[in-house]
Amino acid sequence: RLMQVRWSRYNPSYLEPEVNKEFYQKPLEELTEEEREQMELKAVRPIKAAPPSLSSSVFSDPMISKFTNMMMRDGNKVLARSLMTQTLEAIKRKQLEKYHKAPETEKETIECNPYVIFHQALKNCQPIIGLSNITKGGKTYQVPVPLKDNRKRFLAMKWLITECRENKHRRTLMPEKLSQELLLAFKNEGPVIKRKHALHKMAEANRAYAHFRW
Amino acid sequence: LRLIYTTTAVQRKNVGASGPEKYTEAFIKKQIEEFNLGKRHLANMMGEDPETFTQEDIDRAIAYLFPSGLFDGHARPMMKHPREIFPEQRKIQWGEDGRPFHFLFYTGKQSYYSLMHETYEKLLNVEKHQDQLIAQDLPLQKEKRNLAGSRWLTKIELEEMLLEKLSDDDYSRFIQLLQKLTDLPCSDIEEKYIQKFSKELPVQMQKVVIEPLQYDEQGVAFSTGEGRRKTARATAVVYDNGTGKMTVNGKDILHYFPVLQDREQLLFPFQFLGRIGKHDAVCTVSGGGRSAQAGAIRLACAKALRSFVTEKEVEFMRQAGLLTVDPRVKERKKPGQEGARRKFTWKKR
Repeated sequence: RLMQVRWSRYNPSYLEPEVNKEFYQKPLEELTEEEREQMELKAVRPIKAAPPSLSSSVFSDPMISKFTNMMMRDGNKVLARSLMTQTLEAIKRKQLEKYHKAPETEKETIECNPYVIFHQALKNCQPIIGLSNITKGGKTYQVPVPLKDNRKRFLAMKWLITECRENKHRRTLMPEKLSQELLLAFKNEGPVIKRKHALHKMAEANRAYAHFRW
Repeated sequence: LRLIYTTTAVQRKNVGASGPEKYTEAFIKKQIEEFNLGKRHLANMMGEDPETFTQEDIDRAIAYLFPSGLFDGHARPMMKHPREIFPEQRKIQWGEDGRPFHFLFYTGKQSYYSLMHETYEKLLNVEKHQDQLIAQDLPLQKEKRNLAGSRWLTKIELEEMLLEKLSDDDYSRFIQLLQKLTDLPCSDIEEKYIQKFSKELPVQMQKVVIEPLQYDEQGVAFSTGEGRRKTARATAVVYDNGTGKMTVNGKDILHYFPVLQDREQLLFPFQFLGRIGKHDAVCTVSGGGRSAQAGAIRLACAKALRSFVTEKEVEFMRQAGLLTVDPRVKERKKPGQEGARRKFTWKKR
Protein backbone atom coordinates (compact mmCIF):
# COMPACT_ATOMS: atom_id res chain seq x y z
CA ARG A 1 0.00 0.00 0.00
CA LEU A 2 1.22 3.47 -0.75
CA MET A 3 -1.04 5.59 1.46
CA GLN A 4 -0.60 5.41 5.23
CA VAL A 5 -3.54 4.45 7.40
CA ARG A 6 -2.04 5.05 10.84
CA TRP A 7 0.68 7.56 11.47
CA SER A 8 3.94 7.23 13.31
CA ARG A 9 6.62 9.70 14.24
CA TYR A 10 8.92 8.14 11.67
CA ASN A 11 8.81 8.95 7.96
CA PRO A 12 7.35 5.95 6.03
CA SER A 13 10.70 5.49 4.26
CA TYR A 14 12.44 4.44 7.51
CA LEU A 15 13.29 0.71 7.74
CA GLU A 16 13.32 -1.64 10.75
CA PRO A 17 16.71 -2.13 12.50
CA GLU A 18 18.49 -5.51 12.41
CA VAL A 19 20.15 -6.19 15.76
CA ASN A 20 21.58 -9.69 15.26
CA LYS A 21 25.40 -9.53 15.31
CA GLU A 22 25.96 -12.65 13.18
CA PHE A 23 23.97 -11.15 10.34
CA TYR A 24 26.66 -8.50 9.83
CA GLN A 25 29.56 -10.92 10.09
CA LYS A 26 28.35 -13.15 7.24
CA PRO A 27 30.58 -12.89 4.15
CA LEU A 28 28.99 -11.53 0.97
CA GLU A 29 28.85 -14.81 -0.94
CA GLU A 30 26.44 -16.54 1.40
CA LEU A 31 23.62 -14.06 0.89
CA THR A 32 20.69 -14.85 -1.39
CA GLU A 33 19.34 -12.47 -4.06
CA GLU A 34 16.67 -11.04 -1.76
CA GLU A 35 19.14 -10.42 1.01
CA ARG A 36 21.43 -8.60 -1.37
CA GLU A 37 18.60 -6.34 -2.46
CA GLN A 38 17.69 -5.74 1.17
CA MET A 39 21.27 -4.74 1.94
CA GLU A 40 21.36 -2.30 -0.95
CA LEU A 41 18.08 -0.78 0.16
CA LYS A 42 19.36 -0.44 3.71
CA ALA A 43 22.47 1.36 2.54
CA VAL A 44 20.36 4.15 1.03
CA ARG A 45 17.36 4.46 3.34
CA PRO A 46 17.35 5.82 6.92
CA ILE A 47 16.74 3.32 9.74
CA LYS A 48 14.53 3.61 12.85
CA ALA A 49 16.09 3.68 16.32
CA ALA A 50 16.17 0.33 18.14
CA PRO A 51 13.44 0.21 20.85
CA PRO A 52 14.48 -0.18 24.52
CA SER A 53 13.25 -3.77 24.70
CA LEU A 54 15.51 -4.87 21.85
CA SER A 55 19.17 -5.67 22.43
CA SER A 56 21.89 -7.66 20.71
CA SER A 57 22.80 -9.62 23.86
CA VAL A 58 22.32 -13.39 24.02
CA PHE A 59 19.72 -13.05 26.74
CA SER A 60 17.17 -10.99 24.86
CA ASP A 61 14.55 -13.04 23.04
CA PRO A 62 11.81 -11.35 20.97
CA MET A 63 9.23 -13.99 21.94
CA ILE A 64 9.95 -13.57 25.63
CA SER A 65 9.73 -9.77 25.37
CA LYS A 66 6.38 -10.07 23.59
CA PHE A 67 5.10 -12.37 26.33
CA THR A 68 6.36 -10.00 29.03
CA ASN A 69 4.58 -7.08 27.39
CA MET A 70 1.35 -9.03 27.30
CA MET A 71 1.66 -9.93 30.97
CA MET A 72 2.34 -6.29 31.87
CA ARG A 73 -0.38 -4.33 33.69
CA ASP A 74 -0.64 -0.52 33.84
CA GLY A 75 2.76 -0.18 32.25
CA ASN A 76 4.62 -1.88 35.09
CA LYS A 77 7.38 -3.45 32.99
CA VAL A 78 9.66 -3.97 36.01
CA LEU A 79 7.13 -6.25 37.70
CA ALA A 80 6.31 -8.14 34.49
CA ARG A 81 9.99 -8.73 33.76
CA SER A 82 10.68 -9.99 37.29
CA LEU A 83 7.67 -12.35 37.08
CA MET A 84 9.01 -13.70 33.80
CA THR A 85 12.48 -14.35 35.22
CA GLN A 86 10.96 -16.02 38.28
CA THR A 87 8.84 -18.23 36.00
CA LEU A 88 11.88 -19.35 34.01
CA GLU A 89 13.73 -19.99 37.26
CA ALA A 90 10.82 -22.08 38.59
CA ILE A 91 10.75 -24.14 35.39
CA LYS A 92 14.48 -24.77 35.67
CA ARG A 93 14.16 -25.85 39.32
CA LYS A 94 11.33 -28.28 38.61
CA GLN A 95 13.14 -29.80 35.67
CA LEU A 96 16.35 -30.18 37.69
CA GLU A 97 14.42 -31.95 40.48
CA LYS A 98 13.02 -34.38 37.96
CA TYR A 99 16.46 -34.82 36.41
CA HIS A 100 18.13 -35.74 39.69
CA LYS A 101 15.35 -38.16 40.64
CA ALA A 102 15.17 -39.91 37.29
CA PRO A 103 17.09 -43.16 36.54
CA GLU A 104 20.12 -43.09 34.24
CA THR A 105 18.27 -44.13 31.08
CA GLU A 106 15.74 -41.27 31.24
CA LYS A 107 18.20 -38.53 32.14
CA GLU A 108 18.82 -37.59 28.51
CA THR A 109 15.17 -37.18 27.59
CA ILE A 110 14.47 -34.55 30.29
CA GLU A 111 14.78 -31.01 28.86
CA CYS A 112 16.32 -28.55 31.31
CA ASN A 113 16.66 -25.38 29.23
CA PRO A 114 13.69 -23.12 30.16
CA TYR A 115 13.88 -21.20 26.88
CA VAL A 116 13.50 -24.39 24.86
CA ILE A 117 10.55 -25.43 27.03
CA PHE A 118 8.92 -22.00 26.61
CA HIS A 119 9.25 -22.02 22.81
CA GLN A 120 8.06 -25.61 22.48
CA ALA A 121 5.09 -25.00 24.78
CA LEU A 122 4.06 -21.94 22.77
CA LYS A 123 4.34 -23.93 19.55
CA ASN A 124 2.18 -26.69 20.96
CA CYS A 125 -0.50 -24.20 22.01
CA GLN A 126 -0.80 -22.46 18.64
CA PRO A 127 -4.08 -23.22 16.85
CA ILE A 128 -3.88 -23.93 13.13
CA ILE A 129 -7.33 -22.77 12.12
CA GLY A 130 -9.61 -20.18 13.67
CA LEU A 131 -13.21 -19.07 13.45
CA SER A 132 -14.37 -15.71 12.19
CA ASN A 133 -17.82 -14.13 12.23
CA ILE A 134 -19.10 -13.58 8.71
CA THR A 135 -22.51 -12.00 8.15
CA LYS A 136 -24.36 -13.30 5.13
CA GLY A 137 -28.02 -12.75 4.38
CA GLY A 138 -28.69 -11.20 7.77
CA LYS A 139 -27.35 -14.11 9.81
CA THR A 140 -23.86 -14.30 11.36
CA TYR A 141 -22.03 -17.59 10.85
CA GLN A 142 -18.84 -18.89 12.48
CA VAL A 143 -16.65 -19.67 9.48
CA PRO A 144 -13.39 -21.65 9.75
CA VAL A 145 -10.53 -19.52 8.47
CA PRO A 146 -6.74 -20.09 8.29
CA LEU A 147 -4.81 -17.92 10.75
CA LYS A 148 -1.68 -15.90 10.16
CA ASP A 149 1.54 -16.61 12.10
CA ASN A 150 1.28 -13.48 14.21
CA ARG A 151 -2.32 -14.24 15.13
CA LYS A 152 -1.45 -17.83 16.13
CA ARG A 153 1.35 -16.67 18.42
CA PHE A 154 -0.85 -13.99 19.92
CA LEU A 155 -3.68 -16.45 20.65
CA ALA A 156 -1.31 -18.98 22.24
CA MET A 157 0.16 -16.34 24.57
CA LYS A 158 -3.23 -14.85 25.37
CA TRP A 159 -4.71 -18.23 26.30
CA LEU A 160 -1.78 -19.04 28.58
CA ILE A 161 -2.06 -15.74 30.43
CA THR A 162 -5.87 -15.77 30.83
CA GLU A 163 -5.72 -19.40 31.95
CA CYS A 164 -3.22 -18.48 34.66
CA ARG A 165 -5.04 -15.37 35.76
CA GLU A 166 -8.53 -16.77 36.04
CA ASN A 167 -8.73 -20.51 36.52
CA LYS A 168 -6.28 -20.95 39.38
CA HIS A 169 -6.43 -20.69 43.13
CA ARG A 170 -6.22 -17.06 44.27
CA ARG A 171 -3.31 -17.48 46.68
CA THR A 172 -0.79 -19.07 44.28
CA LEU A 173 1.70 -16.66 42.71
CA MET A 174 1.94 -16.06 38.96
CA PRO A 175 5.40 -17.63 38.38
CA GLU A 176 4.24 -20.90 39.93
CA LYS A 177 1.02 -20.98 37.94
CA LEU A 178 2.78 -20.08 34.69
CA SER A 179 5.54 -22.64 35.15
CA GLN A 180 2.95 -25.37 35.77
CA GLU A 181 1.02 -24.37 32.65
CA LEU A 182 4.14 -24.19 30.49
CA LEU A 183 5.35 -27.63 31.59
CA LEU A 184 1.93 -29.14 30.89
CA ALA A 185 1.79 -27.46 27.48
CA PHE A 186 5.28 -28.75 26.72
CA LYS A 187 3.99 -32.29 27.19
CA ASN A 188 0.81 -31.55 25.17
CA GLU A 189 -1.45 -31.83 28.23
CA GLY A 190 -3.25 -29.21 30.27
CA PRO A 191 -6.21 -26.82 29.87
CA VAL A 192 -4.63 -24.63 27.18
CA ILE A 193 -4.10 -27.57 24.84
CA LYS A 194 -7.70 -28.63 25.56
CA ARG A 195 -8.88 -25.18 24.52
CA LYS A 196 -6.91 -25.43 21.30
CA HIS A 197 -8.47 -28.83 20.53
CA ALA A 198 -11.92 -27.45 21.31
CA LEU A 199 -11.36 -24.68 18.77
CA HIS A 200 -10.21 -27.19 16.17
CA LYS A 201 -13.34 -29.31 16.82
CA MET A 202 -15.60 -26.28 16.40
CA ALA A 203 -13.86 -25.45 13.13
CA GLU A 204 -14.33 -29.05 11.96
CA ALA A 205 -18.01 -28.94 12.98
CA ASN A 206 -18.61 -25.73 11.00
CA ARG A 207 -16.84 -27.12 7.98
CA ALA A 208 -20.00 -26.73 5.93
CA TYR A 209 -19.70 -22.93 6.02
CA ALA A 210 -16.11 -22.88 4.81
CA HIS A 211 -17.16 -21.73 1.34
CA PHE A 212 -18.51 -18.49 2.83
CA ARG A 213 -14.99 -17.16 3.07
CA TRP A 214 -15.43 -14.40 0.45
CA LEU B 1 5.25 48.33 -11.44
CA ARG B 2 1.95 46.71 -10.67
CA LEU B 3 2.97 43.22 -9.60
CA ILE B 4 0.55 40.86 -7.82
CA TYR B 5 2.23 38.63 -5.27
CA THR B 6 0.76 35.42 -3.93
CA THR B 7 2.26 33.18 -1.23
CA THR B 8 3.42 29.64 -2.04
CA ALA B 9 0.75 28.17 0.25
CA VAL B 10 -1.99 29.72 -1.85
CA GLN B 11 -0.14 28.64 -4.96
CA ARG B 12 -0.19 25.01 -3.80
CA LYS B 13 -3.94 25.01 -3.50
CA ASN B 14 -4.57 26.78 -6.78
CA VAL B 15 -2.51 24.50 -8.93
CA GLY B 16 -4.57 22.83 -11.56
CA ALA B 17 -7.83 23.58 -13.24
CA SER B 18 -9.44 25.56 -10.47
CA GLY B 19 -11.53 27.75 -12.69
CA PRO B 20 -10.94 29.80 -15.80
CA GLU B 21 -7.51 31.17 -16.53
CA LYS B 22 -6.78 34.10 -14.26
CA TYR B 23 -3.70 35.42 -15.99
CA THR B 24 -3.52 35.54 -19.76
CA GLU B 25 -0.36 34.69 -21.67
CA ALA B 26 0.12 38.28 -22.74
CA PHE B 27 -0.13 39.43 -19.12
CA ILE B 28 2.54 37.00 -17.97
CA LYS B 29 4.82 37.99 -20.86
CA LYS B 30 4.48 41.62 -19.86
CA GLN B 31 5.31 40.69 -16.24
CA ILE B 32 8.46 38.89 -17.39
CA GLU B 33 9.58 41.93 -19.40
CA GLU B 34 8.93 44.23 -16.45
CA PHE B 35 10.83 41.85 -14.17
CA ASN B 36 13.88 41.86 -16.42
CA LEU B 37 13.81 45.65 -16.71
CA GLY B 38 13.45 45.99 -12.98
CA LYS B 39 16.38 43.63 -12.49
CA ARG B 40 18.63 45.86 -14.59
CA HIS B 41 17.47 48.99 -12.73
CA LEU B 42 18.18 47.28 -9.41
CA ALA B 43 21.65 46.23 -10.55
CA ASN B 44 22.33 49.83 -11.59
CA MET B 45 21.14 51.10 -8.22
CA MET B 46 23.37 48.71 -6.33
CA GLY B 47 26.31 49.60 -8.53
CA GLU B 48 26.72 46.07 -9.92
CA ASP B 49 26.94 44.67 -13.41
CA PRO B 50 23.39 44.19 -14.82
CA GLU B 51 24.43 41.24 -17.00
CA THR B 52 25.64 39.03 -14.13
CA PHE B 53 22.96 39.85 -11.57
CA THR B 54 21.70 36.56 -10.12
CA GLN B 55 18.55 35.81 -8.08
CA GLU B 56 20.59 35.68 -4.85
CA ASP B 57 21.89 39.18 -5.56
CA ILE B 58 18.31 40.36 -6.13
CA ASP B 59 17.22 38.86 -2.79
CA ARG B 60 20.08 40.53 -0.97
CA ALA B 61 19.41 43.88 -2.62
CA ILE B 62 15.70 43.80 -1.75
CA ALA B 63 16.45 42.80 1.84
CA TYR B 64 18.82 45.78 2.06
CA LEU B 65 16.53 48.34 0.45
CA PHE B 66 13.31 47.23 2.17
CA PRO B 67 14.25 45.92 5.63
CA SER B 68 11.28 44.23 7.25
CA GLY B 69 10.83 42.87 10.76
CA LEU B 70 7.94 40.56 9.83
CA PHE B 71 8.28 36.99 11.04
CA ASP B 72 6.67 35.26 8.10
CA GLY B 73 9.26 35.04 5.31
CA HIS B 74 6.52 34.98 2.69
CA ALA B 75 5.06 38.29 3.88
CA ARG B 76 8.27 40.23 3.36
CA PRO B 77 8.84 42.14 0.13
CA MET B 78 10.27 39.89 -2.56
CA MET B 79 11.14 40.07 -6.22
CA LYS B 80 11.13 36.79 -8.08
CA HIS B 81 10.71 35.65 -11.65
CA PRO B 82 6.98 35.72 -12.57
CA ARG B 83 7.00 31.98 -13.39
CA GLU B 84 7.69 31.27 -9.72
CA ILE B 85 5.00 33.63 -8.49
CA PHE B 86 2.13 32.99 -10.88
CA PRO B 87 1.34 29.27 -10.83
CA GLU B 88 1.23 27.42 -14.12
CA GLN B 89 -2.31 27.11 -15.27
CA ARG B 90 -4.06 25.30 -17.99
CA LYS B 91 -5.10 27.22 -21.02
CA ILE B 92 -8.71 27.21 -22.14
CA GLN B 93 -9.48 23.65 -23.20
CA TRP B 94 -11.96 24.37 -25.97
CA GLY B 95 -11.98 26.32 -29.21
CA GLU B 96 -14.23 29.15 -30.34
CA ASP B 97 -17.04 26.85 -31.39
CA GLY B 98 -17.14 25.30 -27.87
CA ARG B 99 -15.65 21.96 -29.01
CA PRO B 100 -12.92 20.69 -26.65
CA PHE B 101 -9.44 19.99 -28.05
CA HIS B 102 -8.65 16.80 -26.11
CA PHE B 103 -10.69 13.67 -26.85
CA LEU B 104 -10.91 12.78 -23.15
CA PHE B 105 -12.08 16.20 -22.03
CA TYR B 106 -15.48 15.02 -20.86
CA THR B 107 -13.98 12.43 -18.44
CA GLY B 108 -13.06 15.33 -16.19
CA LYS B 109 -9.46 14.19 -15.64
CA GLN B 110 -8.17 14.30 -19.19
CA SER B 111 -4.43 14.43 -18.48
CA TYR B 112 -4.63 11.64 -15.92
CA TYR B 113 -6.51 9.26 -18.20
CA SER B 114 -4.36 10.09 -21.22
CA LEU B 115 -1.30 9.37 -19.04
CA MET B 116 -2.73 6.00 -18.00
CA HIS B 117 -3.44 5.16 -21.65
CA GLU B 118 0.12 6.09 -22.64
CA THR B 119 1.66 4.00 -19.87
CA TYR B 120 -0.49 1.03 -20.76
CA GLU B 121 0.56 1.39 -24.40
CA LYS B 122 4.21 1.21 -23.31
CA LEU B 123 3.37 -1.90 -21.27
CA LEU B 124 1.84 -3.60 -24.29
CA ASN B 125 4.88 -2.57 -26.36
CA VAL B 126 7.23 -4.21 -23.89
CA GLU B 127 5.15 -7.38 -23.84
CA LYS B 128 5.15 -7.51 -27.64
CA HIS B 129 8.92 -7.10 -27.64
CA GLN B 130 9.19 -9.89 -25.08
CA ASP B 131 7.05 -12.18 -27.23
CA GLN B 132 9.25 -11.43 -30.25
CA LEU B 133 12.37 -12.33 -28.29
CA ILE B 134 10.79 -15.54 -27.07
CA ALA B 135 9.72 -16.43 -30.62
CA GLN B 136 13.30 -15.96 -31.81
CA ASP B 137 14.58 -17.96 -28.80
CA LEU B 138 16.81 -15.11 -27.70
CA PRO B 139 17.48 -14.68 -23.95
CA LEU B 140 15.47 -12.00 -22.16
CA GLN B 141 17.50 -9.13 -20.73
CA LYS B 142 17.72 -9.40 -16.98
CA GLU B 143 19.43 -6.16 -16.00
CA LYS B 144 17.59 -5.02 -12.91
CA ARG B 145 17.09 -1.36 -12.23
CA ASN B 146 18.57 -0.24 -8.98
CA LEU B 147 15.41 0.28 -6.92
CA ALA B 148 17.29 1.46 -3.88
CA GLY B 149 18.52 4.73 -5.38
CA SER B 150 15.32 6.20 -6.75
CA ARG B 151 11.77 6.90 -5.73
CA TRP B 152 8.57 7.62 -7.60
CA LEU B 153 7.14 11.14 -7.86
CA THR B 154 4.91 12.11 -4.95
CA LYS B 155 1.24 12.89 -5.48
CA ILE B 156 1.85 16.65 -5.26
CA GLU B 157 4.64 16.49 -7.82
CA LEU B 158 2.47 14.48 -10.17
CA GLU B 159 -0.37 16.97 -9.75
CA GLU B 160 2.01 19.77 -10.66
CA MET B 161 3.16 17.88 -13.72
CA LEU B 162 -0.37 17.20 -14.97
CA LEU B 163 -1.88 20.51 -13.78
CA GLU B 164 -4.85 18.55 -12.55
CA LYS B 165 -6.16 17.42 -9.17
CA LEU B 166 -5.73 13.70 -8.41
CA SER B 167 -7.27 11.52 -5.75
CA ASP B 168 -5.22 9.13 -3.60
CA ASP B 169 -6.77 6.15 -5.36
CA ASP B 170 -5.84 7.51 -8.82
CA TYR B 171 -2.29 8.13 -7.69
CA SER B 172 -1.84 4.65 -6.25
CA ARG B 173 -3.25 3.06 -9.40
CA PHE B 174 -0.78 4.98 -11.53
CA ILE B 175 2.14 3.97 -9.32
CA GLN B 176 1.02 0.32 -9.44
CA LEU B 177 0.97 0.48 -13.24
CA LEU B 178 4.47 1.99 -13.31
CA GLN B 179 5.67 -0.72 -10.94
CA LYS B 180 4.20 -3.39 -13.20
CA LEU B 181 6.02 -1.84 -16.15
CA THR B 182 9.37 -1.81 -14.36
CA ASP B 183 8.98 -5.38 -13.13
CA LEU B 184 8.84 -6.78 -16.67
CA PRO B 185 12.24 -8.12 -17.80
CA CYS B 186 12.48 -6.13 -21.05
CA SER B 187 11.52 -2.77 -19.60
CA ASP B 188 14.85 -1.24 -20.63
CA ILE B 189 13.22 -0.10 -23.88
CA GLU B 190 10.95 2.30 -22.04
CA GLU B 191 13.67 3.46 -19.67
CA LYS B 192 13.41 7.09 -20.79
CA TYR B 193 9.68 7.16 -20.21
CA ILE B 194 10.04 5.68 -16.73
CA GLN B 195 12.76 8.14 -15.80
CA LYS B 196 10.30 10.99 -16.27
CA PHE B 197 8.43 9.71 -13.23
CA SER B 198 11.23 8.73 -10.91
CA LYS B 199 13.56 10.85 -8.82
CA GLU B 200 17.00 10.13 -7.52
CA LEU B 201 17.28 9.67 -3.78
CA PRO B 202 20.32 11.38 -2.25
CA VAL B 203 22.75 8.75 -0.97
CA GLN B 204 22.28 8.52 2.78
CA MET B 205 24.50 9.30 5.69
CA GLN B 206 27.57 10.51 3.84
CA LYS B 207 27.39 13.91 5.48
CA VAL B 208 28.15 12.86 9.05
CA VAL B 209 31.70 13.81 10.01
CA ILE B 210 33.32 11.39 12.48
CA GLU B 211 35.49 13.34 14.89
CA PRO B 212 39.08 12.19 15.43
CA LEU B 213 40.16 10.80 18.82
CA GLN B 214 41.34 13.22 21.46
CA TYR B 215 44.12 12.45 23.94
CA ASP B 216 44.15 13.54 27.59
CA GLU B 217 47.16 14.08 29.96
CA GLN B 218 48.15 10.45 30.46
CA GLY B 219 47.95 9.77 26.72
CA VAL B 220 44.68 7.80 26.99
CA ALA B 221 42.49 8.22 23.93
CA PHE B 222 38.93 9.41 24.57
CA SER B 223 35.94 10.71 22.64
CA THR B 224 32.68 12.46 23.53
CA GLY B 225 29.16 11.95 22.34
CA GLU B 226 25.76 13.51 23.00
CA GLY B 227 22.41 11.78 23.01
CA ARG B 228 18.77 12.53 23.70
CA ARG B 229 15.56 10.60 24.13
CA LYS B 230 12.19 12.16 25.01
CA THR B 231 13.21 14.95 27.43
CA ALA B 232 16.47 13.42 28.63
CA ARG B 233 19.82 14.91 27.53
CA ALA B 234 23.05 12.99 28.04
CA THR B 235 26.75 13.41 27.33
CA ALA B 236 29.20 10.51 27.44
CA VAL B 237 33.02 10.46 27.46
CA VAL B 238 34.38 7.06 26.43
CA TYR B 239 38.01 6.31 27.39
CA ASP B 240 40.24 3.69 25.82
CA ASN B 241 42.27 1.06 27.75
CA GLY B 242 39.58 0.72 30.37
CA THR B 243 38.11 -2.07 32.45
CA GLY B 244 34.46 -1.65 31.45
CA LYS B 245 33.45 0.59 34.37
CA MET B 246 30.66 3.07 33.71
CA THR B 247 29.77 6.07 35.86
CA VAL B 248 26.61 8.15 35.55
CA ASN B 249 26.35 11.53 37.32
CA GLY B 250 29.08 10.38 39.70
CA LYS B 251 27.39 7.09 40.64
CA ASP B 252 28.08 3.59 39.40
CA ILE B 253 25.53 2.20 36.91
CA LEU B 254 24.55 -0.54 39.34
CA HIS B 255 23.34 2.14 41.79
CA TYR B 256 21.88 4.54 39.26
CA PHE B 257 19.98 1.98 37.15
CA PRO B 258 18.61 -0.79 39.40
CA VAL B 259 16.56 -2.21 36.50
CA LEU B 260 18.23 -4.83 34.31
CA GLN B 261 16.64 -3.51 31.10
CA ASP B 262 18.35 -0.09 31.43
CA ARG B 263 21.75 -1.62 32.05
CA GLU B 264 21.25 -3.87 29.02
CA GLN B 265 20.58 -0.76 26.95
CA LEU B 266 23.75 0.94 28.22
CA LEU B 267 25.87 -2.05 27.29
CA PHE B 268 24.16 -2.59 23.92
CA PRO B 269 26.61 -0.52 21.77
CA PHE B 270 29.63 -2.11 23.45
CA GLN B 271 28.25 -5.62 23.15
CA PHE B 272 27.35 -5.08 19.51
CA LEU B 273 30.93 -4.09 18.67
CA GLY B 274 32.40 -6.75 20.97
CA ARG B 275 34.27 -4.22 23.12
CA ILE B 276 32.75 -4.82 26.54
CA GLY B 277 35.79 -4.84 28.81
CA LYS B 278 37.88 -2.45 26.77
CA HIS B 279 36.32 0.96 27.40
CA ASP B 280 35.53 3.14 30.41
CA ALA B 281 32.68 5.62 30.30
CA VAL B 282 31.83 8.70 32.32
CA CYS B 283 28.36 10.06 31.60
CA THR B 284 26.15 12.93 32.73
CA VAL B 285 22.43 12.90 32.19
CA SER B 286 19.50 15.11 33.13
CA GLY B 287 15.78 15.22 32.44
CA GLY B 288 13.37 12.51 31.36
CA GLY B 289 12.56 9.31 33.23
CA ARG B 290 14.36 6.06 33.92
CA SER B 291 14.07 4.53 30.48
CA ALA B 292 14.56 7.83 28.63
CA GLN B 293 17.85 8.50 30.43
CA ALA B 294 19.07 5.00 29.56
CA GLY B 295 18.18 5.53 25.89
CA ALA B 296 19.91 8.93 25.85
CA ILE B 297 23.12 7.50 27.30
CA ARG B 298 22.99 4.63 24.82
CA LEU B 299 22.87 7.07 21.91
CA ALA B 300 25.66 9.19 23.43
CA CYS B 301 27.94 6.13 23.88
CA ALA B 302 27.22 4.90 20.35
CA LYS B 303 28.13 8.32 18.93
CA ALA B 304 31.33 8.42 21.00
CA LEU B 305 32.31 4.92 19.86
CA ARG B 306 32.19 5.97 16.21
CA SER B 307 35.66 7.51 16.55
CA PHE B 308 37.16 4.23 17.80
CA VAL B 309 35.81 2.02 15.09
CA THR B 310 36.12 1.44 11.28
CA GLU B 311 33.64 2.98 8.81
CA LYS B 312 32.09 -0.38 8.01
CA GLU B 313 31.29 -0.95 11.67
CA VAL B 314 29.77 2.54 11.86
CA GLU B 315 27.50 1.52 8.99
CA PHE B 316 26.59 -1.69 10.86
CA MET B 317 25.77 0.34 13.97
CA ARG B 318 23.53 2.60 11.91
CA GLN B 319 21.72 -0.40 10.43
CA ALA B 320 21.22 -1.82 13.93
CA GLY B 321 19.42 1.40 14.89
CA LEU B 322 22.02 2.58 17.40
CA LEU B 323 22.78 5.93 15.82
CA THR B 324 19.30 7.31 15.12
CA VAL B 325 17.65 9.72 17.50
CA ASP B 326 14.32 8.24 18.59
CA PRO B 327 11.71 10.82 17.50
CA ARG B 328 8.89 9.42 19.65
CA VAL B 329 7.79 11.95 22.26
CA LYS B 330 4.73 12.25 24.44
CA GLU B 331 1.71 13.11 22.29
CA ARG B 332 -0.14 16.25 23.30
CA LYS B 333 -3.55 16.17 24.89
CA LYS B 334 -6.27 17.49 22.62
CA PRO B 335 -9.25 19.64 23.65
CA GLY B 336 -12.53 17.72 23.78
CA GLN B 337 -10.71 14.51 24.71
CA GLU B 338 -9.49 13.26 28.04
CA GLY B 339 -5.98 12.38 26.89
CA ALA B 340 -4.04 12.18 23.65
CA ARG B 341 -6.23 9.39 22.31
CA ARG B 342 -8.74 8.51 25.04
CA LYS B 343 -12.09 10.20 24.52
CA PHE B 344 -14.57 11.14 27.24
CA THR B 345 -17.09 8.51 28.28
CA TRP B 346 -19.87 8.45 25.70
CA LYS B 347 -23.26 9.00 27.25
CA LYS B 348 -26.32 8.35 25.23
CA ARG B 349 -28.29 11.19 26.83
